[in-house]
Amino acid sequence: MILKELNVVGKRIPKLDAAKKAMGRAEYIQDIKLPGMVYGKILYSRYAHANIVKIDTSRAKALPGVLCVLTGEDVPKKMRMGFYKDNPPLKKGKVCSFRDEVAAVAAISNEIAKKALDMIEIQYEELPGIFDPEKAMEPDSPLVHDYHKTNVLNLPWKLHYGDVEKAEKESAFVVEERFTTQWVSHCCLGTSGAIALFDSSNNLTIYTNTQIPSLAQKDFLESLKAMGLENKRARVIKPIIGGGFGSKLDTYAYEHIAILLAHACRRPVKILFDRAEEFKAVSTRQPTIIYIKQGCDKNGKLTFRDMRMVLDNGAYTSWGATTPSVMMMPITSLYRVENVRYEAKCVYTNNTYSQAMRGYGNPQATFAIESTIDMLAEKAGIDRVEMRRINRNQPGDLTPQGFKISSCGLSECIDAVEKEMDIKGPREKGVGFGIASLIHVGGGARIYKSDGCGAILKMDDYGKVDIFTGGTDMGQGLDNITAQIVAEELGLLVEDINVVHSDTDVCPWDVGAHASRSTFVAGNAALGAAKKVKAVILEEAAKTFGVPPDQIVMKARNIFVPGDAEKTMPIDKLLRKVHFSPQGKMLMADYFYDPDNENMGKDMKGNMSVTYAFGAHGVKVKVDEETGKVEVLDYVAAHDVGRAINPLLLEGQVYGGVVMGLGYALTEEVVTRDGKNMNPNFRDYKLFTAKDAVRIKAPVVETYDEYGPFGAKGIGEPGCVPTAPAVANAIYDAVGVRITTLPITPEKVLAALKEKKKRPLN
Amino acid sequence: MKEFTYLTPATVEEAVSLYGQHSETAKYMAGGTDVIVKLKDGWMEPDYLISLKKIEELSELRKNEATGDLTIGATVTHAVLEKSIMIQKEYPIIYDAVSNIGSLQVRNVGTIGGNLINAVPSADGAIPMIALDGVALIQGPSGERSVAVKDLFIEPYKTVLKPGEILKKITIPAQAPRTGSAYIKFGRRAAMELPLIGIGVLLSLKEDLQTCAKARIVLGVAGPTPMRAYEAEKLLAGQRITEDILRQAGETAADESKVRDSVRGSAWHRKEMIRVQVRRMGLKCMDIIKNNR
Amino acid sequence: MTTKISFILNGDRISYEIKDHWTLLHLLREEMGLIGTKEGCGNGECGACTVIVDKLAVNSCLYLAVDADGKTIDTIEGLASTDGTLHPLQQSFVDNGGIQCGFCSPGMIMSSKALLDENPNATEDEVKHALAGNICRCTGYVQILESVEAAKRHMSGGGQS
Repeated sequence: MILKELNVVGKRIPKLDAAKKAMGRAEYIQDIKLPGMVYGKILYSRYAHANIVKIDTSRAKALPGVLCVLTGEDVPKKMRMGFYKDNPPLKKGKVCSFRDEVAAVAAISNEIAKKALDMIEIQYEELPGIFDPEKAMEPDSPLVHDYHKTNVLNLPWKLHYGDVEKAEKESAFVVEERFTTQWVSHCCLGTSGAIALFDSSNNLTIYTNTQIPSLAQKDFLESLKAMGLENKRARVIKPIIGGGFGSKLDTYAYEHIAILLAHACRRPVKILFDRAEEFKAVSTRQPTIIYIKQGCDKNGKLTFRDMRMVLDNGAYTSWGATTPSVMMMPITSLYRVENVRYEAKCVYTNNTYSQAMRGYGNPQATFAIESTIDMLAEKAGIDRVEMRRINRNQPGDLTPQGFKISSCGLSECIDAVEKEMDIKGPREKGVGFGIASLIHVGGGARIYKSDGCGAILKMDDYGKVDIFTGGTDMGQGLDNITAQIVAEELGLLVEDINVVHSDTDVCPWDVGAHASRSTFVAGNAALGAAKKVKAVILEEAAKTFGVPPDQIVMKARNIFVPGDAEKTMPIDKLLRKVHFSPQGKMLMADYFYDPDNENMGKDMKGNMSVTYAFGAHGVKVKVDEETGKVEVLDYVAAHDVGRAINPLLLEGQVYGGVVMGLGYALTEEVVTRDGKNMNPNFRDYKLFTAKDAVRIKAPVVETYDEYGPFGAKGIGEPGCVPTAPAVANAIYDAVGVRITTLPITPEKVLAALKEKKKRPLN
Repeated sequence: MKEFTYLTPATVEEAVSLYGQHSETAKYMAGGTDVIVKLKDGWMEPDYLISLKKIEELSELRKNEATGDLTIGATVTHAVLEKSIMIQKEYPIIYDAVSNIGSLQVRNVGTIGGNLINAVPSADGAIPMIALDGVALIQGPSGERSVAVKDLFIEPYKTVLKPGEILKKITIPAQAPRTGSAYIKFGRRAAMELPLIGIGVLLSLKEDLQTCAKARIVLGVAGPTPMRAYEAEKLLAGQRITEDILRQAGETAADESKVRDSVRGSAWHRKEMIRVQVRRMGLKCMDIIKNNR
Repeated sequence: MTTKISFILNGDRISYEIKDHWTLLHLLREEMGLIGTKEGCGNGECGACTVIVDKLAVNSCLYLAVDADGKTIDTIEGLASTDGTLHPLQQSFVDNGGIQCGFCSPGMIMSSKALLDENPNATEDEVKHALAGNICRCTGYVQILESVEAAKRHMSGGGQS
C-alpha cells in the first residue's frame, strides 16, 4: 500500500536526545548524585539451597562509615515482590538460589559498604538443590519452598481449541520434536541502579531505570504500606535509561532494599550494580523445554498444533512465569490452524529466575513452531516457502484464540524476503537459506486490568508544546514518535515539541513499555490530546478567518485557508490572540487511550491486541563442516508495521532486534553449574561485537492499520522473534542437520554432522 | 582497589633494586591490563606497584638486518606489533596472534611481556614466540639469565620467573629461508575472544619447496601451559608436505594434547579443532612460502 | 600514595593531585565530574569507558590516572566546538541512528575518532576491527557502521553525502 506523504510523520528524524548523548551530557542513574547520598550494597547467598542458621552483623555495623545493616529479619512480612508474591527483597530463614539477597549495607562510600559486606558472618546449613525443572516435577524431588507443597506453580496455562487428537489421526503428515531454549541476559550497557529517599513526611522519591513507572509506583506504595507507611506518596523518576529490553518490567529487590535502607538511615541511598551483579542478579529470559507436534493434510494445510512446555521458574517468580500467556499467541495464531492444544508448567528450582525479555516468550515458541514447519514441509514434500504461503494469516481472520486480525501483511513480508533473497535458488556447498515468520501484538496487549496510556498536552504562547506522557523511552524512540505525531497533527515541527516522560508526579498513568505498544498506545494517547487541542485552535481560527473549521489547515507552524493568501497566520500568533483576550484561553488537553482489546477469559480466549504485527525473516548462512562454525552471510527482515512513523528509528529497532536474535540463536547463553552463574562477564557471555556485525535488509510493509496513530503498529520486538528458527532452518538447508537446542554452537553442529556421517542415508 | 604507591624507575637496575627494598609488598606492572583487573578483584594487594613503562630499553622493537635476529622488548604493546609492517610481512604468526588479543583498546596498552608473564593457558602471545624458538632474557637480583620461551611456563599463572625478576625482552633467532607461519584462535564469535583453542604452525622448507626442514606446532588451551606438539612435529620433519600429512600431523597433535572441558567448551570439540586447524594453518604456511618467492 | 600529575585534557592544561590507585576513569567521572565517559564493566571488556590517550584509544577503567602524567587526553566532552557545533562523528551518529540508549556512544565515538584520525580512509573491515572492543546492545551495529562511514566521507572532504 502506498501511503500519502505527511509532513513530519514518516520522516527519518534523528532521535531527539541523541545530541545530548553524543556529547556525554545525558544523565543515567550512574551519573546522578544527590546531597547527603550514601551507598548501598547487597550481600548474596553462598549456596543454591540452604538454611540460614545464624547471621551476625555486629562487626559490619561497627565499621566506621556504615550507617545501617539490614537482613531478612528487617523486612516486613507483607513486603513481597512479583505477581505470585513469593519473593521478599531480603531472604529470611532460608536461601533458595545463589542470587538470594541475604543482607544489605548502607555506608558513606562504596568501598566501605563492600568492606562491611565481607564482615557479615552467616552460618548456612546446605540443603540438596534441584536444578532440572523436569526432575523437580517428580514426587520425590526436594522442595524449593516447603510452604508451597509442590514445585509446580499454580498457574492456568492450558488451552485446547478444536480437537487435536482427532485432527492428528486425520493428518497425512505429522512431525514431533523436543526443543530447548536457554537462559540469556539482557546485557543493558547501563547497569541497574536506584536511588531512594524519603521526605520529612515519609513520602518516597525513587530514581530508577524502570519501564513501568506507574506499576512500579504501585509496587513501591505496597511496600510502603507493608512498612507501616500508609497513604503516602511515591514518586518515580526515570533518569536516561541505558537499555531496557524488558529487564525493567518488574520491580527488583535492589529497589525495595534501597527503600528499606533509605528509611532506616534517613539518607538518600544509591544502589548501583557492577557488571558481575548485573549478570547474576538481573532476571533472565525465560528458558523452555518444548514438546511439539504439528500435522498437515496432503496439500500442506496445517491440521493441528500440539505443544507442551516445562518452564524452569527458578527460585522465585517474576514475569517469566507469564510468558505462556504470550506464547499462546504464536501457538494459536501463527498461520491458520484450527486445532490447537497447549499446556505449560512452571516449576520451581534452585536456579535463577526469569522475567520479561524482548519478545516475551514469542521467540521461544516460534523457535519450535517454525523449525517444525520446515520439518513438516520436508515430510510432505512441499516447498518451505510455499508451505508458509498456504497457511498464511489474512486480514479479517478470526483465530482460534479469538484474535481479530485486522491489517495483515504476512503475505507481502514473505514476498519481500523472496525478493531480496533467492531462497529457492542454487547454493554452493555448505551454504543454506532459511525462512521463518512471526506474529506479534501490534496494538497493545491487554495483560493487565488496563492497557491504557495517558497524555497531557499544553501549548504556550510561542507555539511550543509540552507533552507529558505515561510512556517510557529507553533508547527505542518513544520521544520521537510522540513528538512526530503531535507535530504532524498540530502543523508544527518536531523541534517545537518537548516530550516529558520521566516523572510520575507529572506524567499520567501507563501500564508500561512492553509488548511493542508504545507507538500504538502512547502514540494514540498523544494523538488524542493533540486532536482535542487542534479542534479548539480550528474553532478559534474559524472565528478569525470567517470560514468553517474544516477549510483551515495547520502546517509548518502556520494556520491558513488554502488558496486564500489573506487568511494566514503563524500558529503562535493565533495562540497569543486567544490567550490575551477577555476570558482568554490557554490550549491544554488530556487524553487517556485504552485500546479496545480484551483480557483473556478462563479459556484463554480474547482479542489480546487491537491489531497484530506480522513479519518474515530470511537468512543465508555458510556452515564450515569441519569446525561447525556458522557464518551469517545475509539477512532480510521484513515487517508489516502499518505505517513507519520514523523509518530511521524503525530500522534501528529491526537491526537491534535481529542481532539480539542472532546472539540468541548462535552465541549467547548463561552457563550454570548447580545453580551458579559461571560466566557473569562480557568475556565469556558472548554478545555479538562489531566484528560479528551482519548486513541486514529491513524492508517495510505498510498496510495502514485503521486503529493505529497515522496507521502505525508496533515494531520493538518482532526483530528477535523468528531469528532463531530462520537460522536453524538455514543450517538444515545447508548441511542437513537440525539443531533443536539453543544456542546453536559450533560444537553442536559439528557433533550433529559427525552423527549424520555415521548413519546411512535414508 | 586497595591503595598503593606507584614507582616509576628509569632503568631495569633501578626497578630490581626497588623490588629488593620492598620485596613481597611490591609487584611489577607493564601495561596494566592484566594487573589492574587483578588489583580490582583483590587477587593481589601490593603496597608498591613498580611500573616498567618508563624503562626505555624494554620498549625496543628491532630487527637486526645483519644477523636476522628480532628483538622484542617486554613493554612493546600488542598494537605496536600489530601495526608493524615488518612484523606483518616477516612474522605473520605474531601478527595473527596479537591482532586479536582482547580489543584495540587493550592492545594499545597491553604488552607482549605482560601477556607472557600472566601465563594464561590461552597464551595468544606465547604461542608465536614458542613457534619462532624465541628466547626470553630475564634480569633480577641474581643477574641476567636466558630461558627459552617454551620453558617459561610452569602452570597456569605461574612462570619460572623468581621474585624480583623482570622479563626484559624476547629474542627471535633469524628465521630459516622459505619459512611460513600462521596462528588461529578459534572461538564462538569473531572478536574479544578467550579462545576455545589456539593453534600456531611454522614450517620451513628445503630448497625443493616441498620437504619440511623444520616444523613447529604450538597449542594453546590444550593443556595447562602452551605446549609444543612434538610428536606431530617429528611426523613432519624431513617429509614432503602434503595435505594428507598435515592431516596426520593434526591427528597426532590432537592425541598429544591435554585438553579439558571448561566453561568455554568441551575437550572433544577442542580435539576436533586441533585436527582441523593444524592442517589448515599448515596449508596457510605453504601459501605464505609460495607467495614470498 | 598521592602524586601530582600534569596533563592536557581536551586541549586544556590540567594539574591534579591524584591518589596512585585511581583509574583514569575514576579521576574523570568521580573527581572531575566529567560524566560523559561511562563504566560498563570495569574490566576492559565493553569499551564504554574508552578515551583517547596520546592518539590511542584506551579503556580508562584499566588505565591508572598516574600514567596520565605528561599525556594528551581526549574525552567525549572535548569533541564539540566551544560554539556548540558537534564534531562530524557526533553529528553523524546523531543523523544516522547510531545512538539509541546512548550508554555505549561516548566510548564508540571516541574509538571511531581515534581510528579516523589515524586512518582517514579506513575500510569497513578496519572499522569493524577497531570497534570490536565497543559493545552495543541496542543498535546491532548496523547504523553505527553507517554513521562512521558517513563521518569518514565528511571528514575526508567528501562534503554532503
